[in-house]
Amino acid sequence: MEKVEILEKVRQILITVLKHEKFEMRDDLTASDVDGWDSLTHMEIITEIETEFNIKFRLKELNKLKNMATLIELIQSKL
Amino acid sequence: MVFNSLNFAVFLLLVFILYWFVFKKNAKTQNILLLVASIVFYCMADWKFIFLLAASGFINFYLAKFIAQKKEGKIRSLFFFSGIILNVGLLLYFKYFNFFIQSFVTLFNYSGAGISFTPFHILLPLGISFFTFQMIGYLIDVNNDEIEPTGDLLGFCTYLAYFPKILSGPIERVQKFLPQIQKKREFDYGMAVDGLREILWGLFKKMVIADNCAEIANTIFNSSAESTLYSGSTLVLGALFYTIQIYCDFSGYSDMACGISKLFNIRIVNNFAFPFFSTNIRDFWKKWHISLTSWMMDYIFTPLSFILRKYKKTGLIISILLTFLLVGLWHGANWTFIVFGLLNGFYFIPQILKGSMNKNKIVVKGRLTTLLKEFFGMFGLFILISLTAVFFRAENIGHATKYFHDMLSGLIYSWGYVQTFNLILSQIVLLGVIIIFFIIEWLGREQEYAIAQLGLKWKRPLRWAMYFAIIFAIIFAIVILGGKEQQFVYFQF
Repeated sequence: MEKVEILEKVRQILITVLKHEKFEMRDDLTASDVDGWDSLTHMEIITEIETEFNIKFRLKELNKLKNMATLIELIQSKL
Repeated sequence: MVFNSLNFAVFLLLVFILYWFVFKKNAKTQNILLLVASIVFYCMADWKFIFLLAASGFINFYLAKFIAQKKEGKIRSLFFFSGIILNVGLLLYFKYFNFFIQSFVTLFNYSGAGISFTPFHILLPLGISFFTFQMIGYLIDVNNDEIEPTGDLLGFCTYLAYFPKILSGPIERVQKFLPQIQKKREFDYGMAVDGLREILWGLFKKMVIADNCAEIANTIFNSSAESTLYSGSTLVLGALFYTIQIYCDFSGYSDMACGISKLFNIRIVNNFAFPFFSTNIRDFWKKWHISLTSWMMDYIFTPLSFILRKYKKTGLIISILLTFLLVGLWHGANWTFIVFGLLNGFYFIPQILKGSMNKNKIVVKGRLTTLLKEFFGMFGLFILISLTAVFFRAENIGHATKYFHDMLSGLIYSWGYVQTFNLILSQIVLLGVIIIFFIIEWLGREQEYAIAQLGLKWKRPLRWAMYFAIIFAIIFAIVILGGKEQQFVYFQF
């Protein structure tokens, strides 16, 4: 799957879970940049990503995520 | 040796002079001084457990190195879980042993077992809840390959024992603290002045507001355990005064800890970010005792919610309830703290079910006025937190339930508002000070602490007049209270 396609799917997931579009999908985007993306919503987002892409994350992998770019890379590595 | 004592002032002055004039050669000499000063500070508070603290430092330091040296596998897991069990075991033994045994005995006795239990006389090492959590977090981060273990034993022990935070936190992360002390610190005049201002504000919160609120809250709560002297509305007032007490006590301590640390050009995490200006429970806990909440979210909630993620919102609810049960239990070995924690967990459920809707923001950022809706949201949350704090303050569950029973029956059936009105009148000066305090906090809510920027642009005489006014208020409070100093609430944890 192309990176652009992954980015768009993740963007839709964020909109669905966070219920707003007030963010820009850029490589250095982090949770702290986005309203409502905190510990409570983070796991909802991760679960939706796993369902959407039919992949499974490990907790250690999630702990090492730094920003959107590393999340996309991780998703790509599992496809 | 508490922060608001003359002894500590002398100690701090001595350490400050030695740090910047004698031991200033390099980072190593500065850290040696800080470590020795921290050992002296801890020994003066509780010398019996200095060896426990030292042992904790050495063992965790080398365990982390052993963990990192091994690839993922049984040996690595053995080192890691040994470390976790050791640290948790310390906490369980010193803090919870008697509580768990007593609870089991009580449970068995409900079935008529008739077992008796005399609690063991176990002294609680000061700061144990804070430094064991720091060590557990360190081992977890190393095991998860999030950080490399440090090879700097001196720096690590300095981090562990650092006197501004050893007794009541914050629960500092090693990756934020260690880099600061591994380079030589140069004196920063601006930072030192900022530190002094923060210490002054912390002293004001503790000695003017917290200790005075404690007088009233203690009278009402202590009396309520055995009698029905106070009306329902007065009991509500007692809960409100206690909430203000505990906020000003702990945030005041935290301000002092941060300010003291700034004198040595070291930053430690701020534990409070104006939590009473939150309009929902989620925002509140992001701004109250931040180092503990973030620790619990990172090391308890996140792994739990990950394991339970297939249960979606149910999994989130179970995770938040268990997390806050531990938040409550962390505070002390009493069922009242467990109920306190669970209640706060339950308050998250509506937001979890409704889905994300709340912004992580400073209320009405950049504006002086607020919408009526947000004001009532803040007020409503304050009332909810205050009523929940009854469990935090009560001696036991029986005391808490009696308090609520007397409060509700008093509000519904008997008119004791004259008593409450007279109490308010008798404390009119304190209430006036509290109102001014919250106005200052509101105006400074976008800053690191309320008076961080206050007066900086004024002419110097006016700024110094402000300092003198705060110092005068502190001295006035000491004189009025006549030496009835209240211990910091969080020292007991």
